[in-house]
Amino acid sequence: MSAGASLLNANPGFLRDAREEQRKMVERYYADLESAGGPKRPVAYMLVGGNLTEIVRSFGYEVVFPEIVALNCAIKHKSLEYILNAEAQGYGLDVCGYVKNDLGLQAQGGVTPFGKVPKPDLLVCSFSGCYVYIKWWEALAETLGAPMYTYDVPYQRTEAPLKEDVEYMVAQLWEFIHFLEKTTGRSFDMEELKRVLARSRRAEEEWVRYLDAGRRRPSPIEAYFEAVFYMFPINVLRGTEEAVRFYETCNEEIRTRVSEGNYPVPEEKFRLVVEGVPPYTNYRTFWDFFRKWGAVSVAATYPKVGGLFDRGFYHDPSRPLESIAEYSLGAYVNQSWPLRRDLIKQYVRDYEADAVLIHGIKSCRSFTAGQGDLRDWLIHDAGVPTLYIESDHEDPRYFTPAQIKNRMDAFFESLDLRKRTGPSAGPAGGHAATTAGASATKEVAVR
Amino acid sequence: MRLVQIQPRSGSRPPEVPSKLPGIPSSAGAGGTPSEPLPVLLPSGQALSPDLRELRDLKNLEEILKNARELIRDLSFPTARAWAAGGGTSVAFFPVYTPHEIAHSLGMLPVTVHGGGEDLEITHADAALGSFLCSISKSTLELAITGCLDPFSAYVFPYICDVSRNLEGILCRLKPGSATHMLHLPQNFTSPATIPFLVTEYRRLIAKFEKVSGNRYQASELTQSLKLYNERRRAIEELSELRRKEPWKLPTSELYLLERMGDLLPPEAHLPLLRRSLEQARERSRTKRDAVRVLVVGPFCEQPTPDMLALVEEAGCYVVGDELNMLHHWTPTVPLDGDPLENMARSYVQTPVDIGVRATPIPKGDSIVARARAVDAQGVLFLTAKFCEPALEDVVLYRRGLDREKIPYLHMEFEERSTAYEQSRLQIETFVESVLFD
Repeated sequence: MSAGASLLNANPGFLRDAREEQRKMVERYYADLESAGGPKRPVAYMLVGGNLTEIVRSFGYEVVFPEIVALNCAIKHKSLEYILNAEAQGYGLDVCGYVKNDLGLQAQGGVTPFGKVPKPDLLVCSFSGCYVYIKWWEALAETLGAPMYTYDVPYQRTEAPLKEDVEYMVAQLWEFIHFLEKTTGRSFDMEELKRVLARSRRAEEEWVRYLDAGRRRPSPIEAYFEAVFYMFPINVLRGTEEAVRFYETCNEEIRTRVSEGNYPVPEEKFRLVVEGVPPYTNYRTFWDFFRKWGAVSVAATYPKVGGLFDRGFYHDPSRPLESIAEYSLGAYVNQSWPLRRDLIKQYVRDYEADAVLIHGIKSCRSFTAGQGDLRDWLIHDAGVPTLYIESDHEDPRYFTPAQIKNRMDAFFESLDLRKRTGPSAGPAGGHAATTAGASATKEVAVR
Repeated sequence: MRLVQIQPRSGSRPPEVPSKLPGIPSSAGAGGTPSEPLPVLLPSGQALSPDLRELRDLKNLEEILKNARELIRDLSFPTARAWAAGGGTSVAFFPVYTPHEIAHSLGMLPVTVHGGGEDLEITHADAALGSFLCSISKSTLELAITGCLDPFSAYVFPYICDVSRNLEGILCRLKPGSATHMLHLPQNFTSPATIPFLVTEYRRLIAKFEKVSGNRYQASELTQSLKLYNERRRAIEELSELRRKEPWKLPTSELYLLERMGDLLPPEAHLPLLRRSLEQARERSRTKRDAVRVLVVGPFCEQPTPDMLALVEEAGCYVVGDELNMLHHWTPTVPLDGDPLENMARSYVQTPVDIGVRATPIPKGDSIVARARAVDAQGVLFLTAKFCEPALEDVVLYRRGLDREKIPYLHMEFEERSTAYEQSRLQIETFVESVLFD
């Protein structure tokens, strides 16, 4: 395929009922939040990775995930306004875009294009995989005056959770439950938590069924750009019937797509595993860079930030607190680099991917620090053609479309050549790695 | 590891192993035994090498400072090489807080690696880490890639931030025959389960140390190590107190060197140097200047160059409190009765230190005001490392508190390889003038 291939290969029409349902679900969620807050419908802020939504909801809290609010702002092209507000408060250029979006938004009264985000009555620092969460939540606690509970999640350094780590976390969960009982005046109902967890599990199983569809050739799903839309219920509405129904709708649609031959691209030329957070500010543009080459993400790590359900973990109502602890430990960015490397290699093998694309972002050291080393390992140790590009997920000032497109075009051309002439031909066949982005535009690690 | 196959530039090759430690005059130590009755034998039975004994026996404060300056700039880590030459094993710890005493009790030399400083050119680490990361992470990885960290048998990265955490996952690929550990330092300081968890973390570390050192952990040895480290903490506290009360006698640019050399030396060698330095600094007859007393906040991990610290003082400040070398200030003392691991864990959790690398009490504004007043500072100098997110986020809340109390402050960012100081000088001088003439 030539570099001048047109956008004719793009096929956004494959997104139908489920996408529409997802859009309505998000609208309902924010509309519902507008009236929340205060003693009758208290609001808890929580972080996505390893979150405790089932426990918090069982005490009657509405849950806000400021990361998800921030990404929605970025998709609506509003993030820069809030980021600039935060920078005017003194938050530097190098502070996480999610943090700045949120603190800028709070300073502007929580008003977004999709609704007003209520102030928190409780801050749950479910500290899983990102140190910045602590600083962020401290700033919210100090600025908004809400009480904060820090749930310390040890870093996951072994494939199976360590017994002592789980015990430490279960002890904290009991303390958290007592804290909630005291704060709300309500009694904890273990049976209700088990019922909620049973619904969580059903949603998780349906979500995994959806993700597994990426193994098909051609893939009926876009496991990065589409799955990012569809991760909303598994993170925000887990434990509700609504989330279960949504994934059932998704899987019904996947079956229809297969029977009708309606795929993310008309001709699947490249199967990719994608690592990293997407540039929400330029989501469609970035997606187009894939589609024009007939490239489809068949597996991705980012939709797993809320939990690695596809690796066999499910909430277990018969071990409620233990399984919540294990869930928190298993959040993707709480995994050590050896575990992350192995996971990506398994994705390449299990989903028969041609290459890996890594999108590093300026804001997120947790996700990004070491992705260059990952690229080196993939190319040289695992023998997988890999492209590394850089921009940001929230700050549009760091997305340079021409540079990124050039890099991606060059990479896909190399992959195309490799497919036609065998692994030894072309820079991709010879294990090329390229870096593109606002500040990194050099060719590196080619041997 | 293929990254090392990229031809290093000549400037970044590992330095030659020195035949002796740098800067030690041939007369050092001459004239007899050290004045303090410190053990020459370490817990494992290993003796201090002649080079380390020679360094320990330096008599004159100016000589001590000169050696400290050279030692911390020497990227061949001569003390670890000397330790290895004597058959010992060394551990490289990433800042800020790490349990050095555990390594010491196992006969290992604990060293804090504060990156590569101003002399190391980054040629490989950029590719492994990405663009928007702090200098210390890149220079530490550069040191590993170019072989400068080869004298170490173990590498420990505490969870002080996401970058430090992730570095361990890169080092374990780079140094497959060594022990690496990401030490999860807990952040929940109210749970009764936290201290037992941290003891478990320490035991995991011990298991790795036992393997590489060949020595077995013994609680009694750790208690002895804690006793020695407590003495060192007391000596550093006395030096800090002198600096606070009479900063013209011991400026921070010198105190920093004295503390920092302790990150490279066994405490048996460091403690006598501190004691001698304290005696001599007290006796100095220096004139008090008309300078502004400032608290320096922010450089708790990546350290500014000694030249930068000297510049702050030359430009008209007395630094009377700081966040440099925080390992030595983490806790006043660790109790010696009972289980030493539990005592260490409790001391870590219950430290009064308010710092960006752990969850800290709010309002932060009140905290910084209290800290400034405790050292009688007239202003606060935020000296934050470029890309250091924990420091950059706390600064905003700190500034609000200072604004409320009308305490002046200046915020500057630095990088390890900062060499052009003129703009910094201008900023600090302007700040000083605004405080002095306000």
